[in-house]
Amino acid sequence: MKLVLRFFKRYVRRNIPQYALGLAMLVATNYAVVRVPTLIGRALDALGPAGAGLAAGQSIALELMLWALAVVVVRTLSRVLFFNPGRDVEFRLGVDLFRHLLAMQRPFFLRRRIGELVSMATNDTMSVRLLVGFAGLQVFNVAVAIPMHLVQMWTTDRVLTLWSIVPIALGTAYTVHIVRSFYAMIRVSFEMLARLSDRVLESYAGIGTARAHAAEEALMRRFDERNQPYLDLQLRLSSQRAFAMPVLGLSGLVGTALVLWIGGDRVIAGDMQVGAIATFTTLLGSLVALLMALAWVLASISRGLIAISRIDEVIATPDDLPVPTASIALRQPPSLELRRLSFTYPGADTPALRDLDLSLRPGQTLGIFGRTGAGKSTLINLLARVYTPPPGTILVDGKDITTVPLAELRAGLAVVPQDPFLFSTTLRDNIRLQGERSGHVRGDDGEPAPRAGTSAARLQPDRPQAEADDPQLRAVLTAACLDDDLRALPEGLDTVVGERGVTLSGGQRQRTALARALYRKPALLLLDDILSAVDQGTEVKLVAAIRQLHDQPVVAGVAGVAHVPQDMSEAPAGLPPTTVIVSHRTSVLEHADEILVLADGRVLERGTHAELLALGGHYAETHHHQEAARA
Amino acid sequence: MIPVVAAVSALRPLLVKQAIDGDIAAGSALGLRFTAMLFLGAVMAEFFASAVQVYALQRVGYVTISDLRRAVFRHVLRLPARFYDKTPIGSLLARSTSDIEALSETLAFGVFTILTDVAVILSIVTAMFILDARLTLISLAVAPLLAVLVRFFSSRLRALQLEIRKAQSVQSGYLAEQLAGVTVAQLFGREQATGDEYERLGGRYLRATKTANWYDASLYSLMDGISALCVALLIYFAAPELFPATPAATGVTLGLLFAFIDYLQRVFVPIREFSAKLATIQRAVASLERIYSLLDEPAEPRSSPGAAEPLAGFTGGVTVENLRFRYRQGAPEVLRGISFTIAPGEIVAVVGRTGSGKTSLGRILTRTYDDYEGHVHLATTNGPLEVRDVVPDALRRHILMVQQDVFLFNDDVAQNVSLGEPGLANDPARIEAALRTVQAADFVAARGGLGFVVGERGRNLSVGETQLLAFARVAARSPTLLILDEATASVDSMTEHKVQAAIEELLRGRSVLVIAHRLSTVRRADKILVMQAGEVVEQGRHEDLLARGGVYAELYRMGFKEPEAKA
Repeated sequence: MKLVLRFFKRYVRRNIPQYALGLAMLVATNYAVVRVPTLIGRALDALGPAGAGLAAGQSIALELMLWALAVVVVRTLSRVLFFNPGRDVEFRLGVDLFRHLLAMQRPFFLRRRIGELVSMATNDTMSVRLLVGFAGLQVFNVAVAIPMHLVQMWTTDRVLTLWSIVPIALGTAYTVHIVRSFYAMIRVSFEMLARLSDRVLESYAGIGTARAHAAEEALMRRFDERNQPYLDLQLRLSSQRAFAMPVLGLSGLVGTALVLWIGGDRVIAGDMQVGAIATFTTLLGSLVALLMALAWVLASISRGLIAISRIDEVIATPDDLPVPTASIALRQPPSLELRRLSFTYPGADTPALRDLDLSLRPGQTLGIFGRTGAGKSTLINLLARVYTPPPGTILVDGKDITTVPLAELRAGLAVVPQDPFLFSTTLRDNIRLQGERSGHVRGDDGEPAPRAGTSAARLQPDRPQAEADDPQLRAVLTAACLDDDLRALPEGLDTVVGERGVTLSGGQRQRTALARALYRKPALLLLDDILSAVDQGTEVKLVAAIRQLHDQPVVAGVAGVAHVPQDMSEAPAGLPPTTVIVSHRTSVLEHADEILVLADGRVLERGTHAELLALGGHYAETHHHQEAARA
Repeated sequence: MIPVVAAVSALRPLLVKQAIDGDIAAGSALGLRFTAMLFLGAVMAEFFASAVQVYALQRVGYVTISDLRRAVFRHVLRLPARFYDKTPIGSLLARSTSDIEALSETLAFGVFTILTDVAVILSIVTAMFILDARLTLISLAVAPLLAVLVRFFSSRLRALQLEIRKAQSVQSGYLAEQLAGVTVAQLFGREQATGDEYERLGGRYLRATKTANWYDASLYSLMDGISALCVALLIYFAAPELFPATPAATGVTLGLLFAFIDYLQRVFVPIREFSAKLATIQRAVASLERIYSLLDEPAEPRSSPGAAEPLAGFTGGVTVENLRFRYRQGAPEVLRGISFTIAPGEIVAVVGRTGSGKTSLGRILTRTYDDYEGHVHLATTNGPLEVRDVVPDALRRHILMVQQDVFLFNDDVAQNVSLGEPGLANDPARIEAALRTVQAADFVAARGGLGFVVGERGRNLSVGETQLLAFARVAARSPTLLILDEATASVDSMTEHKVQAAIEELLRGRSVLVIAHRLSTVRRADKILVMQAGEVVEQGRHEDLLARGGVYAELYRMGFKEPEAKA
C-alpha cells in the first residue's frame, strides 16, 4: 500500500488538475447519459393518452437534442483527460525504468533475463497505464454512474427496480469471476506465443544445419510441440468468449423481460405510466454496459498493482556501486597495481582469482596467459569494474579504483571483450559510438519515419561532410586491419551490421570492437582474448598495430568526441596506453613487459616471454606446441 | 446462425411494441404474460445462437490460422539457401508470427462479426421500413452526416495506428538491443545518451498515442451523441402523427415509437465498431499478401514418400568438370572452371585463402546451390548422376557437410545428434556409439548423459564440445561422402587434442573433401587442391607440392589458417 502511495505521489500527482477536470466532465457525462432516457420516457408520457400533449412532447425532444450535443463534448473531454495522463505516466515510468537499468551492473543482469526486462518495460508499464488511465476513468465512471442509475430507477419505480436488479446482480458476480480467469488465460497465451516465436526463430537460425542433415521433420515436430498447445488454449479462450462473456448482457435482457411483465402489470393496474417502461429498458441497457466495464476494471486494477510492485522492485534495486571518495582523470597512461587481489563471483564456492600481486609502470604491457577458466576474463572484468573488486586491491595511478566515480574511470579506459557486441547500426556508428544516433535501431522501413515534422530533422543523419575523412577513424580502421573487410561490404562504413544487418564473422566483430576501443584513445587498454577468431596472418598484423600505439599514439584531432571529458589529443606522444592483453597464444604475448600465467585463479608462472621460455614450464610447453603446429 | 441472430435481435423490439400497443393498451394481463415469455424466449434463443455462432467461427478461424502457421513454417524450412541469403531472419520471423497473429485476430473477430453486424443493421433497417417507411427516413436523416464523420475519424485513426505501431516497434527494438549490449554502453560512458535516445523514441510514441486518444474519444462520443440526437429527431417529427387531424390516418402509435427508439439505439453499436473492424481487416489483408508472397517462393524439391533411393549405389566417387559458379547474377564468379576427382575412399584436402572458393565448392556438392555451370558427377553403380538432378534430401543422406559454425538447438544431446531422424532418435545405443567414436562420450556422461540440455545455441557447452557434437552427427549418419569445413576458432589444448582425434576418426573409411586448416589433416590427405581466386592452381600430395615451392609452400608457411569464417 505504501508502495502504491509512493508511486502515485511520484507519477500521478502532477496530473491531478487534469484528473480533477476529467472527473468534473465525467460527472457531467453521466448526468447527461442518465438524463437522456429520462427525457425519452417523459416525452413518450407526454405524447401518451394521459400526457400533456404535442407541444410538451416536442419541447422535451428539443431539450433532448441539446443533451445529445452536450454528451459529445463532455464525454470526449472526460475520456481524453483520463487517458492522456495515463500515457504520460506510462512514458515517464518507462524512461525511469530504462535509465535505472542502464545504471545497473553485471550481477543484476545475470539475475534477470533480458526478455523479462523488455516485457516489464512494455507490458507492465502498459498495465500501469491502464490502471491510471482506463481503470481510473472507469472506477470514477462506475462510482458516479451506478448510483445515478440506481437512483434514477428507484425514483421511477421502486418495485420494478427491485425485480430487475436481481438477474443483473447475479450476472455481474459471475462475470467478475470469469474475467479474472480470462485474464490469467490471456497471460498464459502471450507466454505461449512468445515461446512459439522463440522456437521459430531458433529453427530459422539453424536452417543451415537442418538443411545439411535433411532434418526438417524434426523441426516440424519441435514446432508442433508448441503450436498445438497454443491452439488448444486459444480454443478454450474462444469458448469463454462465446459462452461466458455474454452472460451479463443476457442478464440485462432477462431484467428487461421482467420489466415488461411486472411493469406491464403495473401499468395495467394504473400504478405506473407507460413511459417508465422505456426509461427502464434504456437504463438497464447502460447499466449492463457499466457493470461489464466494472468486471474488466477490477481485473485491470489488480494487474496494474502487480505491475507497479514488479517495476518498483527493479527501480528500488540499488546499483551496489561503492560511494566515490576520490577523483581520477586518466589523461595519460596510468600505472597499474594489483595488491593481493582475490575475487569470488557472487554465489560461487571457489574464488576465481587468488592473491594476485602486480605492479605495472605507465605505458607497459601486461600479458595474461592461461586455459579456459583460469581467471583471465575475470581479471579484465575487475579492471574495468564490470564487477566491483574488493577495496584496495586494484590501484590505477595509485588510486583504489573502487573509490573513484565509475564514469571517470571508464572515460579513460577501453575494453575489447572476447565476444563483442555490435549494435544494429552502421559500422561507422558502431566504431565511433557517439552522437545521438549511435546504437540507434532503424525502423522497419530502413529509416526512421520522418512523420512528425518536429522529430524529422533530428532523425536525419546530421553528419558533417568532413566526418567521412575523420583521420582518427581512418587510422583505427587500418590499425584493426578492417580496410579489406570494408571494401567487401556492400556500403562500406555505412553498412548496417548487428542483429538486423549484415552478419560479420567472429574475427570481423572482434576487430570492429578493437577499432571501437582504439577510437577512444584510451589511457588504459584491456584486450580480452580478442585474437581468438582471427588467423595467424592477421594476428601478426594486429599485434604489430597494437604495439605501434606504443611508438606513436594517434594524435589526430578528436572533433566531435563531445562525451569524452578530457581532450586526449593532448596526451604527449611517445607514451603508449598501459595495456593488459589476454591470450592463449604465446605469439601474441611475446612483447609484453610481464606475463602472468594463470591456472585456477592463481599465478602459476610469471616473467617475460624469454624468462618463461627459459623456465621451461607450462608456458614454454604450450609455446613449443603452438610453434610446431605453425611450422 | 448469423441470420438467426440477426432476425431474433430484430424481433425483440416488436415484442415490446406488442406489449405496449397490444397487451398493455388492451389491459390484457394474460397477453402481456405471453408476450413477456416470448420476449424471454427470444432473448435466450439469441444468446445461444450467438454463442454457438461466435464459438464455431472462432474455432474455424483458429484452426485455420494454426494450420497456416504450420504451412508457412514448413515452407520456410524448405526454402533454398539463396532465399536466406537475401532475406533477414527477422522478416521471416515476422511473416511466421506477427503477420499470422494479425490474421488470426481478424479471422476470429473481424471478418465474421462484420457479417453479423451488416446482417443486424440490414434486418433492423428492414424491420423499420416495414413498420413505417416515413419514420425510418426521418430517423436515418443523419445517416449521411454519420458516414462522413466515421470516414474522417477512422482514416485519421488508421494513419495514427500505423505510426503508433511503428514507433512502438522501434522503441522496443531499441530497448531490447541496448539491454543486450548494456555493458558496452556502460564501458563507453554512454548511459546518458542512450537514456536520452530512449526518451526521444518514447516521446514519438507518446505524441502519436495522445493524438489518437483525441480522435478516438471524439468518435466514440459522437456516436453516442448522434444516437441520442436521432431519437430526439424521431420524437420531434413523429409526435404530430400521434395527434392526427383525422383519426387513424396514420399508423403511428406509441408502441411503434417505442420500437423505433429501441432499434435506433441498437443500430449504432455495430456502426461504431464497423470502422475499427474494417481497419483490422485491412491490416490482415496486408499481412495475408505478405504471407502469400512468401508461400509463392519456390521451395527445394523433396523426394516423394516411397520413392527409390537415387543414390543407393553411390560409391563416394566424384568427378567435377569445368565447374563455374556465381552467387548472384552479375556478381563475380567464385568458381572459375574447376576440374578434379575424388576417388571412392579418397581424402581430398582443399586449401587456399579466404574467398578462393573452398566453401562454395562444398555448398555445390550438397546442392545448397544448384545453378552452376559445368558438371558435378556422382559415381554410382548405375553410372554417373549429376548433383542437381538428385533430390536434395536424398542427396544429403549420403553427402554430409559439416560447417565451421556449429549450430546446436536448445534441446538435449540426443536430439541434437539425431536431429529427430526416426532411426536414430529411437536408438540411443547408436547415438552413444557415435559419441564414443568422436570422443564426446566422456563429457556427455559427465554432464548427465543424452538428456543433457545444451542451452540456447549450445551455451552450456564449450566451443570444442560443440564441435564434437557436430562430429557425432556425422558419425551417427555415416555418409558416403563427407565435406568437412575445419573450424579455425581456437579451443584450449585439451579439447584441441580430442578434436584432432575425432577428425582422424571421421576421415576413416569414406570419401572426404576437407577444407583444411590443420597441418595434420593436410598431411594425411591423399590429394591436395590448392585454390586461388576460384581456380585450382596446384594439385598433388603434400611433399610434392612443398617441393614445388609455389602457392602451397607459401600457404604452408602461413599455417593454413583461414582469415575469416565468412566473406
